[in-house]
Amino acid sequence: MSPSARAALPQAFFLPGDNGQRFCLYHPPQGSSPQGRVLYLHPFAEELNSTRRVVAQQARALAKAGYGVLQIDLLGCGDSSGEFADATWAAWLHDAQQARHWLLEQGGGPLWLWGMRAGALLAVQLAQQPQEGGDPTHLLLWQPVASGQQQLQQFLRLQAASQWLGNASSGQTPAQALALGESVHIAGYTLSANLARGLGDARLTPPTAGPAGRLVWLEVSSTQPPQLPPASAKPLAAWSGAGWRVQAQAVNGPAFWQTVGTDDAPALIAATLAALTDIPPP
Amino acid sequence: MNLTTQVIRVLDEALGLQGRSAGFQRDTPLLGALPELDSMAVLALITGLENHFGITFSDEDLHGAVFATVGSLCDLVEQALAQQDT
Repeated sequence: MSPSARAALPQAFFLPGDNGQRFCLYHPPQGSSPQGRVLYLHPFAEELNSTRRVVAQQARALAKAGYGVLQIDLLGCGDSSGEFADATWAAWLHDAQQARHWLLEQGGGPLWLWGMRAGALLAVQLAQQPQEGGDPTHLLLWQPVASGQQQLQQFLRLQAASQWLGNASSGQTPAQALALGESVHIAGYTLSANLARGLGDARLTPPTAGPAGRLVWLEVSSTQPPQLPPASAKPLAAWSGAGWRVQAQAVNGPAFWQTVGTDDAPALIAATLAALTDIPPP
Repeated sequence: MNLTTQVIRVLDEALGLQGRSAGFQRDTPLLGALPELDSMAVLALITGLENHFGITFSDEDLHGAVFATVGSLCDLVEQALAQQDT
């Protein structure tokens, strides 16, 4: 392997966290002039697995363009310590803070928080806590969920889906069990009432603290030409109104977070790269 | 493109059949015949149909029987479209 190929390999390591370790992958920036730092926050439950391929491709493309990219598996997810049942929203936010702290000690340049689906909710909450020194935090949101409540409902619908396919119903709905403070078992994941509450409360509203930065909002669409769904108009207006420089775009691609497969989304990767590396529109 | 063709296209995309749906007809069996049709896929299929046709299914309308064949799935969509028009 050539030295340049070796330098391009991501570095895998464990970041010490509360009750255990978090699996991280760091893609060091390539080239002589680092462009910035990107912290990736993954989506919810099985979507973490479905999105690994496209996210890895994007992380490599960004590293090649001079960005240092850090991926972290949150508590109870992927290769990190703990069980999914132990996870809480507050613990995930704390993990994201630790990862940001680590990343800010590497190299230089602007900080981007890149959130996919429910990871966008976490990115927005992390941006609510300003960086030391007053530098703005920028946000790259891929297919952000409208709210934590929507994500929760879609996840709970998975339980209904397995009942449509013939599994017996327990009588009590998952939402009822969660309301009673019980955990629910859905699609191989044990969701605690605590995590459901934290996720359900999460909103995609602009931070009230810290300087406004850039917001790059990207969605994939299978229509020709690709169109942002009408539902995104309202949040985008709110972010613009809060002083964020908003760049929103739909690109053609598959809904790769929904199915485990080998879907590629080259237009999404190209649009992300263009948004971060080109001079933004005034 | 008629409704059945559109439903088959959404089905192909949601289940990642990569064109294997080319020979599908109204009486093609789905549930129990397609190994891809697990709970994640069925959710992707429902979301895909809702997005494509701009409809919303109520959870009461969704049960095993609607995933029996291509035809039963088409009937579900037709019903939702009709309800929307009224």
